[in-house]
Amino acid sequence: MLKKFVSSSLCFLLFPSVFLVLNLQIAKSQYHEFDFNTKGNVCYFQYLKYAPNIEYSSIKRPFLFIMGAPNENVYQMFDKDTLRMQHQFSNYLFVYLPNRGGNTKEKLQCLDGLGSLLSYNYMYGHANFFFQIYDNEITESEIHSLGYDYLFKSVRINRINTGSILQDTTHISAMDAFKETVINYDPLPDDDDIGTFYHEEANNEGADEIKDNKPIKIYFGPPQKYNYMLNGMVYDKSSGEALPFATVLVKGTLIGASTNADGYFTIPRVPNDTSVLIVQYIGYERTEIYLTPFDLKQNFKIEISQNTQNLRQVIITAKKGDVVLAEKTEVNTIKMSPRKLEQIPNLGERDIMRSFQLMPGISAANESSSGLYVRGGTPDQNLVLYDGLTIYHVDHLYGFFSAFNSNAIKDVQLFKGGFESRFGGRLSSVTEITAKDGNQKKFNIGGDLSLLSMNMFVEIPVGEKFTSIITYRRSYKGPIYDKLFSKFNTSSVKTTFSGGGGPEGRFMEQTEATSYFYDLNGKFTYRPNNKDILSLSIFSGTDKLDNSSSIDASSFSSSAQNMGMNSTDLTKYGNFGTSFKWSRKCNAKLYGNTVLSYSNYFSERNRTQERTLTNSSGESVTTNDGILENNDLRDYSLRSDYQWDVLGFYQLQFGGFATHYDIKYTYAQSDTANILDRRNYSILAGVYMQTKVKLFKDKLQLIPGIRYSYYKTTLKPYFEPRTSLAYNITDKFTIKASTGKYYQFANRVTREDIMSGSKDFWVLSGEKSIPVSSSIHYTAGLAYETTDYLLSAETYYKKTDNLTEYSLRINANPMQVNIDENFYTGSGYSKGIELLVQKKEGKFNGWMSYTLGKAMNKFDVYSDTYFPANQDVNHEFKIVALYKYKRWDFSATWIYASGKPYTAPSGAYTITLLDGTTKDYFTVTSKNGVRLPAYNRCDISVNFKLLRGEKADKKRKEFGYIGFSIFNLYNQTNVWYKQFSIVDSKILETNVNYLGITPNITLSLKLR
Amino acid sequence: MKSNIIILLTVFTFVVSACEKENTIQFTDTPILEAYLKPGDYLNLKISRQIPFVSDIVYSADDINKLEITVTSGNKTEVLQALGCGLYIDSNLIVTERASYELRFMFNGKQVYAYTYVPGKPANFTQSATSISIPRMDSTSSPPTGGFSMPEPVALTWDNPDKSYYIVVIENMETSLDAIHDFGDNEAPKNMFREAPTTSAGIEIRSMQFQYYGKHRLILYHVLPDYASLYKENSNSSQNLTNPSTSISNGYGIFTGLNTDTLYLNVVESK
Repeated sequence: MLKKFVSSSLCFLLFPSVFLVLNLQIAKSQYHEFDFNTKGNVCYFQYLKYAPNIEYSSIKRPFLFIMGAPNENVYQMFDKDTLRMQHQFSNYLFVYLPNRGGNTKEKLQCLDGLGSLLSYNYMYGHANFFFQIYDNEITESEIHSLGYDYLFKSVRINRINTGSILQDTTHISAMDAFKETVINYDPLPDDDDIGTFYHEEANNEGADEIKDNKPIKIYFGPPQKYNYMLNGMVYDKSSGEALPFATVLVKGTLIGASTNADGYFTIPRVPNDTSVLIVQYIGYERTEIYLTPFDLKQNFKIEISQNTQNLRQVIITAKKGDVVLAEKTEVNTIKMSPRKLEQIPNLGERDIMRSFQLMPGISAANESSSGLYVRGGTPDQNLVLYDGLTIYHVDHLYGFFSAFNSNAIKDVQLFKGGFESRFGGRLSSVTEITAKDGNQKKFNIGGDLSLLSMNMFVEIPVGEKFTSIITYRRSYKGPIYDKLFSKFNTSSVKTTFSGGGGPEGRFMEQTEATSYFYDLNGKFTYRPNNKDILSLSIFSGTDKLDNSSSIDASSFSSSAQNMGMNSTDLTKYGNFGTSFKWSRKCNAKLYGNTVLSYSNYFSERNRTQERTLTNSSGESVTTNDGILENNDLRDYSLRSDYQWDVLGFYQLQFGGFATHYDIKYTYAQSDTANILDRRNYSILAGVYMQTKVKLFKDKLQLIPGIRYSYYKTTLKPYFEPRTSLAYNITDKFTIKASTGKYYQFANRVTREDIMSGSKDFWVLSGEKSIPVSSSIHYTAGLAYETTDYLLSAETYYKKTDNLTEYSLRINANPMQVNIDENFYTGSGYSKGIELLVQKKEGKFNGWMSYTLGKAMNKFDVYSDTYFPANQDVNHEFKIVALYKYKRWDFSATWIYASGKPYTAPSGAYTITLLDGTTKDYFTVTSKNGVRLPAYNRCDISVNFKLLRGEKADKKRKEFGYIGFSIFNLYNQTNVWYKQFSIVDSKILETNVNYLGITPNITLSLKLR
Repeated sequence: MKSNIIILLTVFTFVVSACEKENTIQFTDTPILEAYLKPGDYLNLKISRQIPFVSDIVYSADDINKLEITVTSGNKTEVLQALGCGLYIDSNLIVTERASYELRFMFNGKQVYAYTYVPGKPANFTQSATSISIPRMDSTSSPPTGGFSMPEPVALTWDNPDKSYYIVVIENMETSLDAIHDFGDNEAPKNMFREAPTTSAGIEIRSMQFQYYGKHRLILYHVLPDYASLYKENSNSSQNLTNPSTSISNGYGIFTGLNTDTLYLNVVESK
């Protein structure tokens, strides 16, 4: 023990002294001597150049001229100077000048010429020219009269009390006086610096130019610090947005970290301060950062550029092979950056949820649901967080589009299963969405126009501390909207009029009502200092689907009476949510954030007919008939999460959460007195803790954790132990596994009303009939990753208990009509294998995935054995191909999914009603006993970049694109569901199909 | 890389072809009842079998023409007489107002049971007019230009203090139908139409609901809730197919009591 202590103490003593000696030697040996002019010239003198970073060729840097006491030569001055040791000046060029004596003019003459020589005629201006003078005789007024206050940004004169010791006697420190002005280095107008750029291909000069912007190795000395902690932020170079979940890795090691939602990272043990960091983020250049001893160890800023070259990545599940990253060890995770989504063909809109459906394990054959069916789970088992705010409904327009505007989103992560303890309240998966903060550097505005919607965004930074972004999207009744809307509403139009039985429309004036969806997102971020970030995020969106009609028969009635019939068929649903987040870096090792949020999901359904009759004497009679349904969910939440880097290999994450639920559901039929009126309140609160342990030279990463919840309705505690591990067998080969227990307290219940658009509502678990559902996940996988390719295989098994199914049944008996709410409880399991091959780089890239899956349920009410769940798809095969040619981006996707199960009638019968008409009824015995035909579809798209500037320019700014896409290219008839009718004593089956071929054009423009 | 893709595709094709499953539809032979119990009628009903969805199903050995069906009303139990074609009648049992009836028989090894009662006769059934005049219209000519007005609707009222269900059926009684307007390419409507079941104490029939001139019968049915529920939307889509609501156990269909009152209305051509 003693021996160890002594040796370590020795190390502590030895290392600094060794470095000091080394450093001095390096310093001495590094200056370069020069003559200015030739001997005899009035401007002749010797000077020294010294670059702490050994980089002598660059002129994009500050210059610091230093002159000593009268008659002091350059070598004496060099020995005395300490400024060059300051790491703030590591990229400066120090110029040591002799003090030639005489009067001030003689001492200082010809410096203008030297400055011009060194800086190529002041190519980058005078903003980074500084002068330090140690001479008592020179005064500030003389400097001014000689015009040197123009030549230099600042001149600092120190008085010298004793001959050899330099004393700082000025009131401004050297650090402040000689502060570098960065912006002047770039010869381009600063306006052009921000935005995305198109670089002409097959042009080496262009490539060099880009290389020039990248960080280069500037320090060639030995490291000065070992095994230290580095923390900082990763930013987008063009917009200044902090980049969440980017990966920062020490090259050649397994050491690394990913940034948190605020873009902040901590690497607990950087081997030394000349290590190379590799920073990666989807859709961005993979950037190497050469650390130097002069770099900040805290609040280190890394800026990376968007990927504009040939290298393109839209989605990556792990990273490149020459280094293995922390990221790769994360189990079951998919990341996506909406920035590149425009390249994936879609139905009218860029859509994050749709794009996730192209990944293995996520069902793709759901045109009418934006919600994700992850590994045999249903969309309500997928937790959707938007800036910490739980979103309960993700569909626009019957589910064909998601409620997330990609212009507002910076990053999305999907945890397919076995997720960490910091997430909870859902059985299957987590989608974590981070909204954009808005451009930090410049005002920006842009918009998209497609055949479906208009989409606008504006980004306004105020000063350096405040950023904001507002996005707004609204659909209009263009061809795509009409196509989808009519798909749902043809039959209900018929119902509207059949009751009347009269001649339709002949004397009627029919008013077509409007339907639309819109969403409005905003985020306002304030960074008062390096430690705190305050942000307010707003998420709002509404669908109004109106199929109402009103008939006014007054027009042909000159005097007698007016008759009006209003048939209302109105569905209105949407979300409103807001979250306030406070992130704080408490110290280098502890980072925390607290989110206060409010989320409201509302769904109103009004399908009524109102008849008003006004007779000639002015009396009016109104009759009502129909259904009114209303669901209103309010979620008030507070959560705090902390991350504490305890030791180099040990990180602790912990936090607490509390949610107050208020869920209301009413159902009323106006022709009966039967009304359902449920209102539930509850509180769910708890804490969690998980640790991230890295062992065996960071080859093994283990994340055990536990989550504890207390649910007020059941008055019971719930413990959810979870763990995941990943092991890097080689640099390229990783195995991983996870398991965990999950509970869900709020359930979405599907009301099978196909006409309604919003088919579902939320109820709280915990009452007798709706138990708290739970699941256990087991997942295992392996990944093999090279620079260009990723191969991955994962398998999962998920057992779910206490699932709830709901039916609202009309219960007929001779005494009364009851509307009965029936909640059925059952269990289920799902299992599967997912395979993925991805080509990550190159002009031609994309991926192929295959999922073999099974999702089974067992509800005693339907059957005593397991039957296929509604979402059960056995085989899914998906291909995504992306190709870039000059300014053109081409892409194609192909999806094959085996058929979903459905319930076919076992029999049918017809009843003759009292008016002589007949009505058909179907009976059912086997739940989901048959399957629809397999689903397949191909989509293609092409985008043409719009560029600013001359055609000859190698680097041109992108200001938008024109996109053309075709959904369902070969017009495949995919069956959505079947309808049955009885014709000639036989059951006739009719297919209702998904969308056929649908082209779309998008114009997207932006200022930068 | 290419070879990997080929292997993967081969495996995929194999897996897909190996795992195709047989579709199964089970069938349970459950009888369908159809009986409206109206005061004054002999109790009669129709039993039928379901139309099967698939052809290769097995019916139970029970013959729908040879069932032993008992009906109990008060303390009287009768066995119904089979008429063939699934029709049964009991000449001893005349349906009476406010009486209750229970039906039982065995089918496919299960006892089928149904219960109903006969509601009271509608009270104070009145009409606002006994005749209305409607101009003849022709779709080939343009609508009359001014100087004409549609007649007021015919208001029908009755007593309904307990908010029970009523339904009005309007039937043209003429043997040859004289259309108010031509129907163009559309199929000619039936001589009957109805209003939706209501729990209110009256309805109004608008003049434009009438399709034909002549004498009309306005039948007001006092019905039970289980009949009214037949009109509720029942699904015919594979997304939400469930068994229909019924008050019959181990059977489907309708076994319900009703009561009626009738008024008459003349629809004449306005000159």
